[in-house]
Amino acid sequence: MNLRVVAELISSLDMSMGSGSSNDNQNNLSEWDRLLLRVGSDRDRSAFKKLYEHFAPRLKSFLLRIGSDMSAAEEICQESMIMVWRRAETFNPESAGASTWIFTIARNKRIDKLRKDNRPLPDLNDPSFFQIPVDKSDDILQRVEEEKKIKNALKNLPPEQAKLILSAYYEEKSHRKIADETNLPLGTVKSRIRLAINRLRTQLEELEG
Amino acid sequence: MNKQNTLTLVESLLIDYASGSLPLALEVLVESHISMNPSSARSIRMLLQIGGALMENSDPISMSEGSFERLMDEIDGGQQDEEIAKSDVSNDNDKLPLPLRNFVSEATFPKNWRRIGIGLSEQTVDFGDEFGNAKLYRIAPGCGVPSHSHDGNEVSLVLAGGFTDEYGSYGPGDISIQETGAVHKPVADADGECIVLAVNEGPIVLTGPVGRLLNMLIK
Repeated sequence: MNLRVVAELISSLDMSMGSGSSNDNQNNLSEWDRLLLRVGSDRDRSAFKKLYEHFAPRLKSFLLRIGSDMSAAEEICQESMIMVWRRAETFNPESAGASTWIFTIARNKRIDKLRKDNRPLPDLNDPSFFQIPVDKSDDILQRVEEEKKIKNALKNLPPEQAKLILSAYYEEKSHRKIADETNLPLGTVKSRIRLAINRLRTQLEELEG
Repeated sequence: MNKQNTLTLVESLLIDYASGSLPLALEVLVESHISMNPSSARSIRMLLQIGGALMENSDPISMSEGSFERLMDEIDGGQQDEEIAKSDVSNDNDKLPLPLRNFVSEATFPKNWRRIGIGLSEQTVDFGDEFGNAKLYRIAPGCGVPSHSHDGNEVSLVLAGGFTDEYGSYGPGDISIQETGAVHKPVADADGECIVLAVNEGPIVLTGPVGRLLNMLIK
């Protein structure tokens, strides 16, 4: 979708909802989505700086939590943020919010790095890029709602379950570590993670119903 | 493998896909699967959204001093944004899902297919991976693959047509899993050619992450 069309769509959303209740306002794009669109359309450096200051330290923290070491975490952050700058015009707020989009870029950067360190990669088109699966029925409000629900559901999880969900994103070596520490077979660790994800999915579906 | 176990394994493959811990051959297989299966696409989307939320909810840890400035220097001084070269995707490859096309040059070029039986030919796909091997199989309508067992665990994705074996029937986008030692005799549906991508961990690599992943699921 053309960026200008997106921008118009967004401003029309603003008009229809701007005067509404705070509940309506929550349906709008996040501040980060807007900044990202500005980077894409205008190469806006101050918008990019704000994005960097918000996301880089959180991404770094997240990477450390899922098993990257300090230097790898910083490197993946930097490389991901360069990609954010370069690919901002492809950001489509209908399919993902800024945090999902940036997470996906970082996921790909991390794989690139692991592969480069371990084995040669064939020269792909653009190994660092990815697809966030798009739904035909995608629209911004629906997507914003979906991500908001997930954020809320995550916040309300019991700590044990939250930990399991996080561990779905661990590096492989961290799964082995858990298996060693808990004396559980790796398979059991993985199936617990899968069950936790399924439970969360069920909770989300109940919210919809 | 029965449908329930297969479903469980597919869920685990999707989780490993989202976290980025699959070897390239399986990553491309899962990506192709997602492109053909809306339900798995929704799962991936949810997993990426959860990842994004977990990332954004993480307590920030400062980047090292001057990181942003170094980044902007790199952006300004570094190579210009290289436009991604559009791949020369041959129309011949239309039958293949997009994620796979980069790895298969001319799927329908007869010379790329090696005949290995009646109505059965194969083509190796090079993922440059240490992990096992990947092959495309083409089975003529109604023809079968001779009964065979597997040296290693194997994940197969139906790209076109369909086949039936002792464990069930599989159509486009369906994943079938054969564990080490399992014996099966797939027969292509009568109404069209069946094309399958099979990723086999092979006899060489048994200790990779997926070898373990498969081992744990096959109990």
